[in-house]
Amino acid sequence: MSSKARPFRLPSPLLSLYGLLVVGLPLAGLGYALLGSVGLVGPLATGFTGRYWQALGADTGLLYAALYSGWVALASVGIATGLALLLVLRAQPTLRRWPLPGLLYVPLLMPALVVGFYLFQLLSRAGWLSRISFQLGLIPRLESFPELVQDGAGLGIILGHVLLTFPLLTLLFLAIYQETRLDEYRQLTLTLGASLKQFRQRVAVPVLLRRAAPTLLLSFIATLGAYDIPLLLGRPYPQMLSVYIANRLQRFDLRELPAAYLAGFLVAAALLGLIVLLLRLTRRHAL
Amino acid sequence: MSELLTVANLSKQFGEQSVLRDVSFSLEQGEVLAVLGRSGCGKTTLLKILAGLEMPTAGTLLLHGQDLRPVPPNERQMVYLYQEPLLFPHLTVFENVAFGLRIRNVAKAEINQQVQELLAELDLWEHAQKAPHQLSGGQRQRVSFGRALIIRPRLLLLDEPFGNLDAQTRADMQQLFLRVSRQHQITSLFVTHDSREALTVGTRFAYLDQGQLTSFASVGEFVQDARTAIRSELAFWENIQQKLE
Repeated sequence: MSSKARPFRLPSPLLSLYGLLVVGLPLAGLGYALLGSVGLVGPLATGFTGRYWQALGADTGLLYAALYSGWVALASVGIATGLALLLVLRAQPTLRRWPLPGLLYVPLLMPALVVGFYLFQLLSRAGWLSRISFQLGLIPRLESFPELVQDGAGLGIILGHVLLTFPLLTLLFLAIYQETRLDEYRQLTLTLGASLKQFRQRVAVPVLLRRAAPTLLLSFIATLGAYDIPLLLGRPYPQMLSVYIANRLQRFDLRELPAAYLAGFLVAAALLGLIVLLLRLTRRHAL
Repeated sequence: MSELLTVANLSKQFGEQSVLRDVSFSLEQGEVLAVLGRSGCGKTTLLKILAGLEMPTAGTLLLHGQDLRPVPPNERQMVYLYQEPLLFPHLTVFENVAFGLRIRNVAKAEINQQVQELLAELDLWEHAQKAPHQLSGGQRQRVSFGRALIIRPRLLLLDEPFGNLDAQTRADMQQLFLRVSRQHQITSLFVTHDSREALTVGTRFAYLDQGQLTSFASVGEFVQDARTAIRSELAFWENIQQKLE
């Protein structure tokens, strides 16, 4: 009998099931949405038609929702990244002092819906901050409180996502800072004549951002497709993509369904494109 | 030769632990002081104090007669080289070497010329556009050396810089260090735990043990001191040779 150890292989039925769950079902959903958008499936399917695709040019709702979602995702991830970098590069000793390390984990355990609800209670015109400001005489009426949730610019949504994302990014940057020995790089660059500002700008930030690039893109994708927070803290118009598509799918008029399928298909295809980019980045940065 | 660095009665304590005790030595322009010592003898602390990365508990540090202690590390022009090359992973070989000039806002044409010349001298020109991870260990150490040399340091502080290299590459790097040191008249403090390396690169010699530095007036004294273990090593090889004869 051969004594050579065989490499462990995942049993093929399990592998197939896993493949079906992570690739097969989403692709099936995407295919169904595509067929729905050309009138081939769905409750009122009448056979192949290209009119929903042709109508896309006249329907600005999806475009606005996409632009709005892009803005919210970019602002949220941008602010969260800036905040995390600031903490790691300017306040690292404080960050390592009790109870901050533990506190950073708290938002990671909170469901997005809870954060959305908490922010609504805190920041709406009928919320705690508004009432406290009114009681202190800082504002003449509750309605004078600035519009921080359900506002046009999506400030509430952005704040919600920043609260959820920046602790994760801070912990990630801290781990990368240690793993890549940035403290030794700091000492080296100082002896080469660099100031601390030059070290941060020319060495630390590029190293941290390059290593964290896959996670940053993942956060961007997650925010782009977020549903709970935009539903609670967003306005009926403009809406973020998930809320926009869900609304169209849930309308009573079944004739709207193909257009909703089309919107869902386009958004899912774009997100899949981003995920392909993410996989490439992950391979390049081996994170 | 003029006296460049004077260190007198330098001490360093971390809490109750005394890491350096009354360390005194001086260095003249172009000299290479090879400091031999085992792990934990205080070598790294000594280098970091000279670089300005640690503050001494007591003692005097003079550079050309001026007190060095209030001078921050980025104004000392004393480069501290680690055992690891620590190349910037996001920059090419060219940009790694150019780093010290870029932060000083040197003109682009001047940077190109200086970096090209240095890369050619270090036999790295063909690797100029490569990323650090595409280089061998010896090549990375040469880039690190070039990155330090380009700013014309007043003092080079080397903390076992070739310790992670294989024997052949290490010997090549020692020769390169010797050649470039002589050519550029670089003053260095070269810390190593390898007596052979100390004898190869040093023009002056010292032994650091439990925070106390012994300077030797000649190579002979350095070799004769039992703590350096050079004589016992010589005896070992002589014994081998006798057996072969």
